[in-house]
Amino acid sequence: METYDAVIIGAGNAGLTAGAALAQGGAKVVVLERHTIPGGCATSFCRGRFEFEVALHQLSGIGTPEKPGPLRMVLDQLGVMEHLTFMPMSDLYHVMIPGKLDILLEPDRARTTATLKHHFPDEAEGIDAFFDLVYRVFGEVIGAFYFKDPDVHRDKYPLYFQYGLKPLQAVLDDHFRDPLLKTALTPYWTYMGLPPSQLSFIDMAAMLFAYIEFLPFHLQGGSQALSTALADRIVQCGGRIRYNCPVARILVENGRVTGVATAEGETIRARQVVSNASKIATYVDMLAPDQVPAAVWGELKRTSISPSAFTLYLGLDQPPEALGISSSTNFILGHTDADMAYARMKDRDIDHRDGMMMTCYTLIDPTFSPPGTSQVALITLKFGDAWLQVPPAQYAAEKYRVADAMLQQAEQVFPGLRTHIEEMEIATPITHMRYLGTPRGAIYGFEKHIKDSPVFLPNQMHIEGLFLAGGWVGGNGFQPTLESGFKTGQAVLRRLEMHQ
Amino acid sequence: MKRDIAQQLEGYQDVLQLVQAAETLGEDFSSERGAVAAYLNRLHPARLSLRVSHIQMETPSTKTFRMVPVDGVLPPFQAGQYVALQVEVNGIRTNRPLSIASSPSQTGYYDLTVKRVPGGLVSNYLLDTIQVGDHLASSAPDGSFVYNPLLHGRRLVFIAGGSGITPFMSMIREVSDRGLDRHITLVYGNRSEDDIIYHDELTVMAARLANLTYVPVVEQPGPAYTGEKGFMTGALIEKAAGNLNGAMVYLCGPSGMYDFCLAELQARGVTARRIRREMFGPPVNVSRSPGWPAGIEEDDHFTVSIVDGPTISARAGTPLLNTFEEAGLAPPSQCRSGECSMCRVRVMKGRVFQPAGVPLRQSDHRLGYVHGCVSYPVEDLEILMEARR
Repeated sequence: METYDAVIIGAGNAGLTAGAALAQGGAKVVVLERHTIPGGCATSFCRGRFEFEVALHQLSGIGTPEKPGPLRMVLDQLGVMEHLTFMPMSDLYHVMIPGKLDILLEPDRARTTATLKHHFPDEAEGIDAFFDLVYRVFGEVIGAFYFKDPDVHRDKYPLYFQYGLKPLQAVLDDHFRDPLLKTALTPYWTYMGLPPSQLSFIDMAAMLFAYIEFLPFHLQGGSQALSTALADRIVQCGGRIRYNCPVARILVENGRVTGVATAEGETIRARQVVSNASKIATYVDMLAPDQVPAAVWGELKRTSISPSAFTLYLGLDQPPEALGISSSTNFILGHTDADMAYARMKDRDIDHRDGMMMTCYTLIDPTFSPPGTSQVALITLKFGDAWLQVPPAQYAAEKYRVADAMLQQAEQVFPGLRTHIEEMEIATPITHMRYLGTPRGAIYGFEKHIKDSPVFLPNQMHIEGLFLAGGWVGGNGFQPTLESGFKTGQAVLRRLEMHQ
Repeated sequence: MKRDIAQQLEGYQDVLQLVQAAETLGEDFSSERGAVAAYLNRLHPARLSLRVSHIQMETPSTKTFRMVPVDGVLPPFQAGQYVALQVEVNGIRTNRPLSIASSPSQTGYYDLTVKRVPGGLVSNYLLDTIQVGDHLASSAPDGSFVYNPLLHGRRLVFIAGGSGITPFMSMIREVSDRGLDRHITLVYGNRSEDDIIYHDELTVMAARLANLTYVPVVEQPGPAYTGEKGFMTGALIEKAAGNLNGAMVYLCGPSGMYDFCLAELQARGVTARRIRREMFGPPVNVSRSPGWPAGIEEDDHFTVSIVDGPTISARAGTPLLNTFEEAGLAPPSQCRSGECSMCRVRVMKGRVFQPAGVPLRQSDHRLGYVHGCVSYPVEDLEILMEARR
């Protein structure tokens, strides 16, 4: 029987950084992954002459060597930076409502505010005040939490205590009148899956601050390059990765973790287990109900499952310029009503009421698709529930029907797109469920409601030796999940030292 | 975060009420136990358990095996998709991707048509050994050689070689069953008249359906043969299908056919966007592929040491995956054509030959990941097999 210091379930972002931190720290570690390639969401697939990026859109937290972001520091510590080529994006985003709004913002505070003031001259004062607040609030968050101030109190961090639990919409309404301006400032709500009326202002401040100060990045070779580099680091440091090795159960004896059992029936012993599977899979599927403390059921019950996504991956036989694509990150919206867009996420259909993102990284990285071509992804958030109702026999037809509707929306802005598609792959919430194993194909873990932020729902250990890492127990997206795994790996290392 | 900090945040009490309400009214996720697996099992089961219900002799060298589920129902598939049939022959555990030839509207069975490959391990085993009532396992249907209603339009040209007819048979049967408005020209090449699979059914369907044109082409016909002869040239395809401009051209057949037909199509201005080709396994005589290193014969052998595993001898002209299987190692695999990524292994030392066009990820190049099914040893190798059972 194999015995390890730590077993990691799943080679997603957090599983890989946890594994790399542990292997590098000298722990005997094995990562068990059910697919044959590392990455989870952070992966790619090939069709024809194209390699398609699955999930990474704008990597945050990298910054420059002179002004490194927190993720660059983590990747540096894990020894993978030297193998990766990061390319800064010149655009923050291009946001459009055909006929009504068309604004391109840059990752630069002065230029972004100037552009917004140019489009909304009557709101110049509010624009300055809003960005001032974003920077000051987030400055307080960094001081209090990133630098771990031992003495956090109201006098020192007044804005944090005032705004910490405020929804974004309230702050927008305090500063602006024009709904178009509010929309122009907030398309990133889709990166967290909750509309401004429900999203925390602090979360939006964090995204704006991070993308403007540390720039959005693309990675040569896509997110698979990062996953592969992290997996390689684990192996180079003496750790092991076993692919095609799904975990069926987490083993618990006398209230403490003792290892895992694979789907093949093999037992792997370890005193520490890090689960990068969803919180629901971890507690509901991999443990027996009587092994799970009551507190966990309470935690699960108060939360709700995030949306999944409907995505079209397109390989086009023309370069971006020939298709009228001039920006790498485009939000194509039909209106300013984010609450309606959120409500629409429960429906399978796609029409003008749904917003979508269209990305084209060929503009930044010519190696992203073959010469003379472009790679484009069209994404809209959709909850998985409605897709679970599609009978299997109708699934393929439904996939094409909705893809057609999505292309129609995209062609409003990029006419003729369809006539240049050489390769197309369609991912529905079911596709995400298949490859991620998450309930309803959720891609952001639990919904990031203010009531479920770490203030109210910290990532606690409920079974001795069982750690959870990733988007189900913290922030979603690449930077948060990569950092979550790294921190978890360090926490496991501290425990291992304690036991020695 | 410390609770006392939280309590001082403005609005704390209001949010706390939401928490309490959710704890009372929220969803009970204990009912999710097994839900993901149960749903996926209807659409993409990990493994199918099949029984041979009927065997049809198609040609002297070809049989169709009708496969029914041992229990439950078969998952749906799109015409053109394949299953990887698992077999154990002479103690070697391996599999072969076989396109489903029956129509997707026929949900009770999959027809799998197998043609004898001279010296082939699996085809000979299936044709000579498998009987009605035998049980076999397979993967679920997979593959992207399918009709895309958003892009492919109404005029389709199918170019098939030998057993490459099978995915087209499924597509044609679907068009016939469902009365679909697609106009199909099938150009079907074979060595001799005897090799033509489904000839009678295709002839009858083409006579019945105004939207199906069937043109068999025989390379070395007997004296009584009156149809199209020789190779499937661009001129012949155009003669059968009319102007290729605006048509979607699909190819499925041996690698020699691709080399020839793709050049013919390109010469007629058919763009990459209008050509779909099925991955059809490793090349037959790999040493004739462009780029094969000079001075190495297919029968040369190299030493392959598996990290934390055995050291084995590997023939240059045999895909690494087959060598692994012969050695009793069974890495996962499915498409055996370099497409599905299941059999990826890492070359730590040494060099392998990979035929042109094998899809690799950018990041695979840096670390030496290759698809074992389309990689050939041309030096001594050290291999990291991370998906070994």
